[in-house]
Amino acid sequence: MSNREKLRGLMVEVFLLTDEEFRFDLTRAEIDTWDSLGIVSLAVGIEETFAYHLTPDEATRLGSVQDVMTVLATRGVDFAA
Amino acid sequence: MPREPLVWTLDQLTQAPLGAVQAWATPSVYSRVESVLPYRLTPPFTSGGVVPESVVVVGGGALIDEAKVWVRDNAPGARLIAVPSIWGSGAEATPIAVLNRHGRKQITVDDAFLPYARVLWPELGATVPASRALHACGDCWAHALEAFLSPLASEAIRAEMALLLGELSAMPLSYDARWFDLSYRAGAGQARASVGLTHGIAHTLEGALHEQQPDGNWSHARLCATFLWPVMELTRSTSDKWQTLTRRYDLDGDAVMSVLRRLFDPHAYHRALPILASMWPDVLRDPCTRTGGILARQSHLRHFEQFEQAAPAQMEPQR
Repeated sequence: MSNREKLRGLMVEVFLLTDEEFRFDLTRAEIDTWDSLGIVSLAVGIEETFAYHLTPDEATRLGSVQDVMTVLATRGVDFAA
Repeated sequence: MPREPLVWTLDQLTQAPLGAVQAWATPSVYSRVESVLPYRLTPPFTSGGVVPESVVVVGGGALIDEAKVWVRDNAPGARLIAVPSIWGSGAEATPIAVLNRHGRKQITVDDAFLPYARVLWPELGATVPASRALHACGDCWAHALEAFLSPLASEAIRAEMALLLGELSAMPLSYDARWFDLSYRAGAGQARASVGLTHGIAHTLEGALHEQQPDGNWSHARLCATFLWPVMELTRSTSDKWQTLTRRYDLDGDAVMSVLRRLFDPHAYHRALPILASMWPDVLRDPCTRTGGILARQSHLRHFEQFEQAAPAQMEPQR
């Protein structure tokens, strides 16, 4: 499974979305479950899926799916494929 | 640092200058409380037209939590004196109120909820039936373990909870006066971190189980005791957090799992499983689930369904 597919699956699970609702250009403002609980849940999911522990500051600043990809890319996660 | 409730003995309670007092007690200990406390007991959540300066509430977590809200809304500034009649909930330790509203659990956090004092009167728990005592132990275990694994727990809280879990491992799963203080510590720990999927399941299912299986003797504590083992097995199989943290804090994970097996109630699990399956989407949305130590996923329902077949072979000899 590619990292893009892993991320798609993770975001759907964390934010309780349907597959149809997910897009890679989604922003936090478009996801009502991306609230304070969602931030915690996303951090746990990223650690489980990509073995990267977000700092609280990083987790709070994320504002879009693209932001998640950018942070993970700096930690060596390749989303090109 | 937030304040902690004062700790009083029964003598200190009866001698404290509390002013105008409202005193409430849960039915199971009513006559005993009435014979010991120097206050007239009144029906809960009534003031008789007088705004009390102190409210003394003797009961389990549900009554203490309702008293927190009543005091805030009806007698702000009054001292709330919490006297747990059974261990497990840790309600006397927290600024959290978990309320039953229309068959659902409503969780409210307010600094005003933190009791002024908690009173140690462990003899009240001595006559609790064995099954209820076991469930109370499970409630305490669930707080300590889920706080330990919480993503919101600091290193200091984890260290505290690891120490506590070691002490819990040495306790009998039955009445023992020490449970009251251990429960207080577990409750205080989870209030500073979070709980997790076990509580998400318990909060979601309890109302539905009461409605659909009124003969089932369901309680929050029974659900926590029953689901803690399968949830921790899920944690252990889906995340390296269990292994990492138990190793880092020198906690004997096998000893912990052994206790969780003894807390497990296969009959309750069997009866709750269909409700869990039908309410799984609600469990995933529960705030406790969403701040737990693992990411609970849609596919994890299968773990719980398969667990029923796998559990008997791993269970401890009957207690």
